Amino acid sequence: MMLITCPFCGKRNESEFIHGGPVGAVRPDPNAVSDEEWVEYLTVTPNPLGPVQEKWWHARGCGEWFTIWRDTRTHDIVEAPDGTK
Amino acid sequence: MSYDVTIERCGLMALFDLKGAPDAVSKWAGDALPSLPYRPNSRTEKDSIELFYIGRDHWITRAPLAQENAMEARLMPTDCPADISIVRVSDTMTFFRIVGPDAGQVMSIACPMDLHDSVFGTDAVSYTEVFGLKALVMRCQDGIEFAVEQSFADMVEDYLIRATA
Ligand SMILES: [Zn+2]
Repeated sequence: MMLITCPFCGKRNESEFIHGGPVGAVRPDPNAVSDEEWVEYLTVTPNPLGPVQEKWWHARGCGEWFTIWRDTRTHDIVEAPDGTK
Repeated sequence: MSYDVTIERCGLMALFDLKGAPDAVSKWAGDALPSLPYRPNSRTEKDSIELFYIGRDHWITRAPLAQENAMEARLMPTDCPADISIVRVSDTMTFFRIVGPDAGQVMSIACPMDLHDSVFGTDAVSYTEVFGLKALVMRCQDGIEFAVEQSFADMVEDYLIRATA
């Protein structure tokens, strides 16, 4: 069992949440990037070995969408790496 | 295993769903509602009208069904400003009361939240899960009450009967 901290409700059972996928890159201006960069933005999903920022939805709770950092090696929820938020 | 509890399936109650910035909601509602609860997942009450703070910028108010028309007249859902939303949802939720010495044990079968008094106090109210369904849970006299979407009520009643048989 994993406890996930909702910013509104506090720590709750993972079963109350729905995973919304990793947080992707910021959408670039399609006119200002190359085709290659645009395709990369559209198709490449973050999949690091280590901390990844993810979107979660407190669906069977308050309804809040928020992000957490999770370490893909341990499944633990971790602090944001230095220099990120 | 049998439990020392009484299960009551409650009749309709007046329910309104309110969304918007707290200032805008309380300005529009005036004294038609209790003061807005300050802490997330808590409730306030005034003159048999309860107000549940159940999400960011999101409340549900509940009152006896006999007060539904009067509340609608006060809250004026169809005339409210565009930056808030008020919707009558009285017939969308069914409440159950689980009361008696073993109410906590029965709820521990159904619900992943710690509902002990020390953690989940008298003014606590929260959406969580009951038998895997989204449910609004709170404390009541001698037990716990919760609401599920009305269409699940027969099924949940069956679950409760099986869980306590
Ligand atoms: Zn929440």
